[in-house]
Formats: sequence, C-alpha cells, structure tokens
Amino acid sequence: MVLGNYKTALSARSTDADILKCSQDGGVVTQLFAYALEEGIIDGAIVAGPGDEPFKPEPVVAMSKEELLAARGTRYTISPNMKLIKEATRSYGLDKVGIVGTPCQMQALRKAQLYPMGMRSVPDKIALAIGIFCMENFPYQGLETIVEDHCNVKMESAVKMDIGKGKFTVYTERGAVSQIPLKETHKYEQPGCHVCLDYVANLSDISTGSVGSPDGWSTVFVRTKKGDDIWSKAITAGCFETKDIASVKPGLDLVTKLATGKIDKNKKTLEERATFGVGKGLRNPYI
Amino acid sequence: MSKVVEVSPTTRHEGHTKLVLKVNDEGIIERGDWLSITPVRGIEKLAIGKSMHQAPKISSRVCGICPVAHTLAGIEAMEGSIGCEIPDDAYLLRVILQCANRLHSHALHNILTLPDMYLPGTDTHINPFSAEEPVRSVALRIQRLREIGQTVGEIAGGEPIHPSNPRIGGMYKNISPRAKAKIYDLAKEGAVLAREQMDFMITVLKDWENRPTASVASGYEVEKNEKFGFHDQGYMAVDPLYASTNLDADPKWYPERWTEVRPWDWYMGEQEITLDDPNYPNHATTPAGAKAWPQMEACTAVPMYDGAPIEVGPRARLAIFRNYDKKGAMGLQIARQMEYPDCLYSMMEAVDALDTSGSVVADEIPQGDGSLGWAANEAPRGTDVHLAKVKDGRVQWYSLLVPTTWNFPVCSRALEGAPWQLAEVIVRAYDPCVSCATHMMVVDEEKKVVAQKLVQ
Repeated sequence: MVLGNYKTALSARSTDADILKCSQDGGVVTQLFAYALEEGIIDGAIVAGPGDEPFKPEPVVAMSKEELLAARGTRYTISPNMKLIKEATRSYGLDKVGIVGTPCQMQALRKAQLYPMGMRSVPDKIALAIGIFCMENFPYQGLETIVEDHCNVKMESAVKMDIGKGKFTVYTERGAVSQIPLKETHKYEQPGCHVCLDYVANLSDISTGSVGSPDGWSTVFVRTKKGDDIWSKAITAGCFETKDIASVKPGLDLVTKLATGKIDKNKKTLEERATFGVGKGLRNPYI
Repeated sequence: MSKVVEVSPTTRHEGHTKLVLKVNDEGIIERGDWLSITPVRGIEKLAIGKSMHQAPKISSRVCGICPVAHTLAGIEAMEGSIGCEIPDDAYLLRVILQCANRLHSHALHNILTLPDMYLPGTDTHINPFSAEEPVRSVALRIQRLREIGQTVGEIAGGEPIHPSNPRIGGMYKNISPRAKAKIYDLAKEGAVLAREQMDFMITVLKDWENRPTASVASGYEVEKNEKFGFHDQGYMAVDPLYASTNLDADPKWYPERWTEVRPWDWYMGEQEITLDDPNYPNHATTPAGAKAWPQMEACTAVPMYDGAPIEVGPRARLAIFRNYDKKGAMGLQIARQMEYPDCLYSMMEAVDALDTSGSVVADEIPQGDGSLGWAANEAPRGTDVHLAKVKDGRVQWYSLLVPTTWNFPVCSRALEGAPWQLAEVIVRAYDPCVSCATHMMVVDEEKKVVAQKLVQ
C-alpha cells in the first residue's frame, strides 16, 4: 500500500489559464481551493503564502482567490502550515477550513482530529485537506546554499524551482536554467525527513503531485468520501481537464517505484535508530 | 442550647468548601461559617520574579469558569503598573470576551441552581438532566447559550478557557471581518434565548421565594424564614460590565479602602459537631463527635472594604449602578438573571464598533519601574481585583482579591436566621468560585491598612 487508500487516480490540470500561469504543475491545489471557496465548501484555506525572503513561504489563511494565487508554486523549504490550524477557527472565524500540506502535515492534521490535544473546535471544522507528494524537504539555509552556491543563481532571480528526473533545476526570470544532480543536495536535507514513510500524502482527502504525469499536468489521488464528493463536483463544474492515469507516461508505475524507494530507505533508517548506540537506541515515534 | 452541624463538602458550586453552622433548637442558624477548604496554590508567591507576560497566563489557571476575569485583571494590573494604554480595538475585543464569559458563566450557574428550585406551581424539583419537558428545552437553551458564549470567547479571545489572545499592551490578533459577522450573528441569536432564559429563571426563583417551605434538591421540606439570606453588609462594584483600573481618569476602586485580615480574626474557633443528619441529600452531614476549626481550616484571607466585609457580584453591580434594592438569596439570584441581556447587547455594541483592520497592540510597551498598578474586573461573580508591581518587565509583587474571597464572610453572615437545611441554597446564590477565592494569604497581624504597605 505504498500509495495509500484511494478511490481514483488520474492525471489532471486546471482549466483556468490564470492559475496555470504560475502553477508548479497542473494547478490542482489552487484550482480546488478556488472552486471550494467559491462554492462555500470551505470559507478559507491554509496555504503557503509569500514570506519575507524569496522562496521562503509563510503560512497564511487565504480567504480570497488572490491570496490563493499568491501561494502558487513549490518552495522547497519548511512552511509550518499546521501552526494556523487552530487560529483559523479563532480570530479568522472560519467554520470550514481547507488546508494544503505535505504528507507529514496531513498526518498532523488527522492526529489533531482524532487526538485533539489543546485543539478545541478543530476536529469538526476541517472541510478539505489536500496533500502534496513529498520526497524530502530542506531548511531555508540549505535551499539557499543549493540555489546560490551549487546552482550559482541569486535567490531573488529565481522564478521556479523543480526536482525531477534526478535533477534540481532553477529557472531565472531572465530565462536561464541551472541544473545540478540531486545527489549534491542530499546533505542539505532536513534530517527529520529520513524517518518519513509517506510519499503521496496517504491521509489527505485528495493528494496531488508531479510524478507520473507529463509536464504541466498533475497526478491526482482522490482518497476519501469527502474528497470524492468535491472532486466530482469540480469536474462537473469544468474546473479540470483529466486523463486516465493508465494512458499517460510514465504513470503510476513510476509513482509506485519512487514511493517504494522512499519508504524502504526510510524504514531502514528507522530500524537503524533502534541500535544507534551501544546497548541503546533512539526513539521511534511509530511504536 | 445551640448545636453545631457541619455540611462538608458543599455541592453544586465551583471548588471545595464546607459549612460549619451553630443552630438553635429549631435548627435555625445562629452563627454560620462558610469556608474554603480548597488547598492554597500560592499563585501570588510563585509569580514573583516571572515576566509580566507570563504571570497573567498563570493566574488564568486559577479558575476555568472565569479565566477571562483573571487573564484580563492580571494583564490590566500589569499594564496599570507599567502605564501602558491599549488601542481602542484591543479594548473592544476584551469587552466582547468579557461579555462572552459572563454569558456562559451565568448560564452554567443556572444548571447548578435549578435542582434546588421547583417547576412553578408544582412540588417537583427541577432536574436539569431530565429528558422530560419542559425541563429538556430549558437544558438545551442553557447549552446553546453556553455554546454561544464559549464560541464568541474562542473567536475574540483565542480560547474560551484560558484565553490566549490578550497580551500586555492589547491583543495578539484582531479578528477577520468574517469573524466579526459571526460574533454578531451569535449575539443576535443569543439575545433572544437569553431573554427567554432570564424570564424563565426569574419565574422559577420568585416561585421559590413565595413558598413557605422548601428543600435542598430532593431532600425533606423545612420552613423558610422571612428574610432568607439577608445581611447588612454593603456592596462593592466598579462597573456594570467591564472594569476599572488605576489608569482610568476616574478610578472606581480605592486601594486605600481595602484591608485584609486572617481567617483567625473572622471565623469561629474550634467546635465539636453535636448535630448530624444521615438523611441530608446526596450525602450525610459530618457525624457528631467530629471536630471543626474554621479559624484554622479556612484557606482564604478575609478582605474588607472600609473595615467591613462587602458583597460583590451581580446584585452589587445592579445596586450601585441601577438602584436595584432586592435583598436576600433570591434577590441576588434574580439580579444575576437580569444581567443576561446586557451580555449580548454589549457584545453587539462592541463588535459593531470594532474596526477589524485596526491595530490591537500598543506601539510602545514600557517595562515598568515598580509602581503599583491595579485592575478591578467585574467577573461573573463580582469584582476581581489584581494588584501588581512590575519593574524591568518582571513581577515584583502580585496580589489577587477575588470575588468569592470578598463574598465568603458576607455569605457567612447571610446564613443567620435560615434553617440549616437550606444553608446551601444561600451559598449557591453567591455562585461561589472557590478555587478562585483560595489564593495566597496576606498575613496582616496588626490589621494595618495593607495599601499603605503598597504605596510606601
């Protein structure tokens, strides 16, 4: 079950040209939230908005399409989206909260719903949780080093970053493309990512990512009843172009392969923690 | 020959107390001592040396029913000491939070009161847990009122129990326009329910008052006296709704009028229990032969205003600001119900005036030079005064004068003349919050004016 439980898997992209203009892939997250906001399925969404430094995200509660558009694009560094989950139900006054996040953030969300420690009013106010695929993440200084030192690009000049096909790629606003092998970035990874056993955000309502679909398209897993309901309404409303996942290259085979790779590698790290010391080990949060 | 009977513990109020009652042959209380036996937690002593930001968050944990009062009084005492004026919109958010807390607290107290009361015109005690009408609708209405109070507290205060939004200098966050609309809608809904609830409660309370006999919950009936729960102490209140602090142009509380004595000077000495009643509702009274020593056992200091104990709470507020003059236990209960509508209307007014894009934290937050600041918050149960001295951002001295602390000796006096079996009905009229009341004693051996020590 490396891909988690899901009802349908498909390849999709938004039909909104505005959204696609700056989206990382098929604009699925932005489009879904924009649709849900318009339809009153959610009344706000926690997204990774622009921060005070380039490519440094800051979690925000987006309550308009403009704010959603400002959060487009992947920032390969930490955005603590869950820090707003309670506040969204407080000073923002939301009743139906949307949230996007990496697999670990989806786990935090579900845990807060089932074991709400200091999370009064949160469990019943989660209306839509969108997960994004995630292999690993970098601290901001790590990302800066990769971009400025390894790729020789000033952070301010970068307009898009991408990890794919074994490469880390930076695109600049002047059209230059800088690429390095992913191997060079490994030492900058956030150590906590090395015990993560989830690649495609198994606990979300709908999860999406680039792997498996062609450029400009996203792979989508529709997982829960809630997710299925919203997805089919969005399709009926004409929000997305879709393709059968079996008909696209490289398709689910690659997703499965990468997910298996991540899980196997990190399982090994977890096992090693048990015997990390001499006669003693390190903590394992899964047991 | 008078006898001594003890009800320990008392029930259906917050905290842990007991009643030590000296009664005559007819069972009428000649002298009653109502005292806290809640362990002292010493908030005021442990706050010394902590930052001014932390101390009010600790004092919030004094009580989970009225944490808003302690948070706001604590913060405003610190602001009073450092001389920090907060922006208007922060003030409005605090007022909304105050209203929300009072609404939930009064509604909660209805649940505690009702089992003593009767369905009007019948001899059936009201059991709020009953699934039968008309009680079921009343219970649901109380639940919804509390839900409204707590939800508004959650939005304006960050959290209904131990609000997170208030901070030294204002609030951490203003609210969104959506949240503003939500508060307004909830207040509108609550206003209708609160009026119904107020009318219902007043009918029930008046029905009780007009009965010649009554019992505690499902106990046996005894004859009531004419002046049930009367006392001759005065009233103290600083505002009909919110608060007064030393920063006000015209402060409504006067530290120099406050003195505090030990229970030793106020309560009875050692007593032997000579009367017991195994049939007292819920549990028997203390068996005869046991000893009680109110002077030593009471866990609160006895604060006085102008040298005498003084009543605080809903009736004190109405008496001072609205010329309310109904005495006795039911007078106090009815005053409490009369505060319902104001919680909602003040909430609406404040949220209407709120600018959701306004700043909610002061531009400058001084660190303090050790001067005395105080804030008197009108908590659901009465005037909650916090006094503090802050220097370089640290608390040097902190004291809490909590509503139920003021009411302990007053209520003890109000017990006189009542049949001992109904003593708990008088106690409940004060809506006691005993963990609030039980803080740290200021031992004042010579009965000096404590304020003199403060001003130095």
